[in-house]
Amino acid sequence: MSAAVIIGASHAGVQAAASLRQAGWQEPVILLSAEKDYPYHRPPLSKGYLAGEKDEEQLLLRAPDFYREQGIELRLEDPATSIDPVARKVVTRSGSFGFEKLLIATGSKARPLPLPGAGAQGTFTLRSMMDARALRDGMRQASAAIIIGGGFIGLEFASTAIRHGLDVTVLEAQPRLLSRSLPAALADFIRDRHVSSGVRFRFGDQVAAFEVSGGRVTGVRLGDGQVLAADLVLVGVGGEAETALAQSIGLDLAAGGIHVDGHGQTSRPGIYALGDTAAFHNAYATAPMRLESVQNAVDQAKSAATHIMGGNAPLVAVPWFWTDQYDLKVQMAGLARPGCTEIVRGDPADGAFSVLQLEGDRLVASYTVNRAADHMASRRLISEAPAVNVALASDASVPLLRAVKAAA
Amino acid sequence: MSGSITIRFRKESGQQIEVQARPGISVMEAAVMNNVSGIEAECGGACICATCHVYCDQVTEGVLPEMSGEEDDMLDMASAERRATSRLSCQLRVSDKLENAVFVIPENQF
Repeated sequence: MSAAVIIGASHAGVQAAASLRQAGWQEPVILLSAEKDYPYHRPPLSKGYLAGEKDEEQLLLRAPDFYREQGIELRLEDPATSIDPVARKVVTRSGSFGFEKLLIATGSKARPLPLPGAGAQGTFTLRSMMDARALRDGMRQASAAIIIGGGFIGLEFASTAIRHGLDVTVLEAQPRLLSRSLPAALADFIRDRHVSSGVRFRFGDQVAAFEVSGGRVTGVRLGDGQVLAADLVLVGVGGEAETALAQSIGLDLAAGGIHVDGHGQTSRPGIYALGDTAAFHNAYATAPMRLESVQNAVDQAKSAATHIMGGNAPLVAVPWFWTDQYDLKVQMAGLARPGCTEIVRGDPADGAFSVLQLEGDRLVASYTVNRAADHMASRRLISEAPAVNVALASDASVPLLRAVKAAA
Repeated sequence: MSGSITIRFRKESGQQIEVQARPGISVMEAAVMNNVSGIEAECGGACICATCHVYCDQVTEGVLPEMSGEEDDMLDMASAERRATSRLSCQLRVSDKLENAVFVIPENQF
């Protein structure tokens, strides 16, 4: 059997299937999905979908008949249950499928909060279309929401929920928002934008339990015994890679994900891992890491498809990511490194500014609010790494691409 | 499909695809739902990847929404040449005013 079997019809999985066909893979492509929905874009689930601006059809990654037309056997509700790496077959709920190449694109799952009362009606996490449907229905009946975790999912939901008319409180265990992913100036700016719309924040509190009555959540109890009332609780405390299948066949792990090289190949030749579940030592990182982003999913899938077809296009893309909250478009490129210097372009008071992080005179990371041109320029500057002129880069009226030192 | 709008996508090679689009969705979504290749739309319509770049024809003159600063910035960095008629198709909504409009797809989006 010479099929390519892809576990997980995630953004990475679907891209891998499409890229394999595009690159001329003639053998069967079997795309296994645990979900019943045609593969969809996840980022809008916490934004446009919940806000009612986009319907489910608008979220589809591809038209339903794309898969048939491309000769991709999409098997919905047929999750992989085990892998036999010696006989080279995947067992699923419905049967078993031999493979020549195996691509694991199982994504990540919401980290649970195993506290008393977890799972009560009215408590939610948000990763999948099913989650989003349940949360949307929950929002209709709710009046007060507590969001546990001030990360991207939680903040995007906060901006949607407050505009929906809910009372919204965000609980963040750290002293500030997004401490691992954004510079303080930017995180505080985002916090202030939320506060101006009526969102309340509590920093540094521990959550001890969900308060439940008659099976329904009624609030959250904090470590000091104080109870905050709510009829909807969203838990957004991060994601964990789905690595159970990979671990069952002894694939090497790193940073909580499946360790892969630049081609997406795992420690076992012919078996690849892509997207949220993969950990890769990116050229811009100091160690292997997982990147939960559309960009990373797409680029890893393309590299893997190329490698499977005998080509050589290891992943070198600059990581980028975005979040939309209210009228703010926040875009990130590159990866922060310890010891960077930071410059701010533009005035946060204007609602549009950028924070640039440099190592020496090279740009390594960029965070922009409503400055898309800076974001796009940053991607190029991080990739090409010319010496940056700090004075020019600090001047928001100078296009960022011009803020480079003349070649010696 | 009742009330659907006919729009066309043309490759620079000349190949043309006619699609029926429901009013209210974006031109990008109309392309994706009809398997029009060459509209990548990696970001799903968030105006951040510039991979749904199209060139618009005269039918669209005066009926398209004004370009946001954000779209303008993204188009500057699009992979294919930017022209006076360049737009990001995720920012264009299908309406009856776009009946028979033709959107030309650039050779490359990356």
